[in-house]
Amino acid sequence: MLTRPLLALTLLVTGATQSADVDLTPVQRSFELLSPEQRGLAIFTEADKRNSGYGDLEVELKMILRTAKGAATERNLRIRQMEVPADGDRVLIVFDTPADIRGTALLSHAHKVDSDDQWLFLPALKRVKKIASRNKSGAFLGSEFSFEDLALPELEKYSYRYLREDSHQGVDCYVVERRSKEQYSGYAKEHYWLDKEEYRTLRVDYFDRRDNQVKLLKVEDYQLYNETFWKPGRMLMENLRTKKSTELVWHDYNFAAGFNADRDFSVNSLRRAR
Amino acid sequence: MLARLVTVIVLLAGIAPATLADQLVFGSFRSTQNASNWAQKLSKMFAQEMVFHAFERNGETMYRVTTVSLGTAEFAALGRRADAAGVRYWRLLEDVDHPSAAPDPGHNRNALSEVAPRLQPPVPEPSTAAENTRSLWDLAVQTRSFAERGVYGQDQFEASVSIKLEYFRGWDNDAQSVTFTPFLRIDSADDERTHGDIRELFYSRISDSWDLHVGAKRIFWGVTEFNHLVDIVNQTDLVENIDTEDKLGQPMVQLSMVRDWGIVDVFALVGFRERTFPGEDGRVRLPFEILDNATYASGAEQRRVDMALRWSNYMGPIELGLHHFSGTSRDPMLIPELASNGDLVLRPHYPVIDQTGIDAQAFYGDWAFKLEGYTRSGYGDRYAAATVGFERTLVGVFGTPADLGLVVEYMFDERDDDATNTLLEHDIALGGRLQFNDFADTRALLGIILDTDNHDYIVSLEASRRLSDSWLLSLEGRLFGGGEKARRNTPAATLLQTQYKSAWLQEDDYLQLELKKFL
Repeated sequence: MLTRPLLALTLLVTGATQSADVDLTPVQRSFELLSPEQRGLAIFTEADKRNSGYGDLEVELKMILRTAKGAATERNLRIRQMEVPADGDRVLIVFDTPADIRGTALLSHAHKVDSDDQWLFLPALKRVKKIASRNKSGAFLGSEFSFEDLALPELEKYSYRYLREDSHQGVDCYVVERRSKEQYSGYAKEHYWLDKEEYRTLRVDYFDRRDNQVKLLKVEDYQLYNETFWKPGRMLMENLRTKKSTELVWHDYNFAAGFNADRDFSVNSLRRAR
Repeated sequence: MLARLVTVIVLLAGIAPATLADQLVFGSFRSTQNASNWAQKLSKMFAQEMVFHAFERNGETMYRVTTVSLGTAEFAALGRRADAAGVRYWRLLEDVDHPSAAPDPGHNRNALSEVAPRLQPPVPEPSTAAENTRSLWDLAVQTRSFAERGVYGQDQFEASVSIKLEYFRGWDNDAQSVTFTPFLRIDSADDERTHGDIRELFYSRISDSWDLHVGAKRIFWGVTEFNHLVDIVNQTDLVENIDTEDKLGQPMVQLSMVRDWGIVDVFALVGFRERTFPGEDGRVRLPFEILDNATYASGAEQRRVDMALRWSNYMGPIELGLHHFSGTSRDPMLIPELASNGDLVLRPHYPVIDQTGIDAQAFYGDWAFKLEGYTRSGYGDRYAAATVGFERTLVGVFGTPADLGLVVEYMFDERDDDATNTLLEHDIALGGRLQFNDFADTRALLGIILDTDNHDYIVSLEASRRLSDSWLLSLEGRLFGGGEKARRNTPAATLLQTQYKSAWLQEDDYLQLELKKFL
């Protein structure tokens, strides 16, 4: 709670005069006072804040799955998401290709405290099936991404620890360790690399319980949308054990599409997702 | 308190060059639709009039969402409220009518949110398509190979082709749409299996809190895997498969309302569909001819309007649905009678029933507990039936990305062996679902249903694998056993006895292969 006035004060000093002191952000200035846990949380809080306030959005996603030998196959999906500040964000994913799973849809309601709710719609039977929360560590569509890798994270569900400053492909980053408080996470911990300037995730190292790194995520081609939100254009997840990889190409972002939580993100909307 | 004070100071410092228009900017869009949506949303959120203006940036027309001109106090108050709501905004430093106007990053009013967002030429956003048409054809070739010739001389091999179209056309941003799904199968052996159906043909009107659907539709109710006990809205297309998962399109008016306390569906089901049965040359069929002319308990026969109501909600790890159905049962009683040639034949009779039922699911870790049940009048005394079970999912089994689901279910019908319209009156089912999570999306479901009293059983295997983006291969096999067998010369009176209930299945073990092409 101490951080907010501090941030404001530093902004008063640096922001109002528009100084060229761009290297020191408010968070950095208040850093010296914080424990590694508080620093980690402050960094993620800042990143979360910068990703909040978009209202709703729609985006298309191409998923390219590659084997160790380089054989590739492709899937296309559409994603709609909406912020519901009082509870948790909502996401609807609709599959377009391959044709045999077209119309299959996945709805997630994130919750700040309780386990997230997820439902899958199977178009052949017109059946909606609830997914047990345990399944979130399972592979998403045969890709190297698990359901939890693609969920919209609620800040409250993780603990954080600031590790160090480091450089990723020449960009100065904070490296923060994140651990899920959920019982059924597939990882023991993750190391997030967020760039110091815009708090964008550039890289994630995933570790298993034996402290071995199992996966590596690189996030690239960030672009600024709606003058506010940095969104990635490309994500590459490598499985370090199997050497398989999955590339996600995000395109056609559409902000403020005018969704309604009940109309577009209820179990009913799953049944009519196209 | 300190924070509040500081915020005010920062705001005042920013406002100092007071000759500029006092408007807050809430973002810029390429499409008027998106700008209008955002403006409307903000107006509601802040009870504050919002407008949007066209302007040029880098030779492109954009639409900027702003407030109307505000006084200093209103300006600051709205800023604080936007801060509290986590909505980003800027102060406009030049007249909006000037094409070069762009918010100055140095004057970002989102005072507590750090560095101002950098201004860059925006990346094109697509405008939301007002009209949306999608269609997908699938063509399939299917073969069924039976272990033996049929008891009544039917062929050991059966081939068929099917074609299905799924067509969707939405307009008004999909608030209105039409869905059309015709289906046709041509079978080499069974005239009754050569059939067509309009699986879906309906118009939808979607509003913020309700959906209205008018036309033929498929509705699924239920949670269990082996028996779809409460799934009553549509008639079973039994010639397609004995698993009762294929259904005929049911004409209806459906009103679905989303409320805080759950989803309520009200159905008026207009126009009754009779169950399909395999013909004389078909396989997996009853030992008697089934007459075309069904009888009805209702004087209105097929024109009776049936009503159904369902409420469903979820509370944390529990999902609950309650329903009531009042109308002509989808489950016919098969009444024996003597044909003019002296043969025993069966005539379907559809009683009028009242069914009240439940479907529920509770999750605990990787366990899902399931229940379906109903009480039903109309078949003699009111009776109850239920399926209870659980499913456990193991993620990443055998050191692979594969998921294994284990299913155990128990099916129960109060009428016991007198339940003539089901074989699942005291049966236990065990199943394993293996999902390989590979590129080809390979999956398999192996199950056995065992009658705990009579010990007749059904073993079933369903598997599928994608061959390419547009080809799908599926396999289905069923083995029947443990029950009394029907012979060609078994007297009709014997076949009607309850211990012969599953006799019609016993010689019909089969393997089905289907290759499907999507266009």
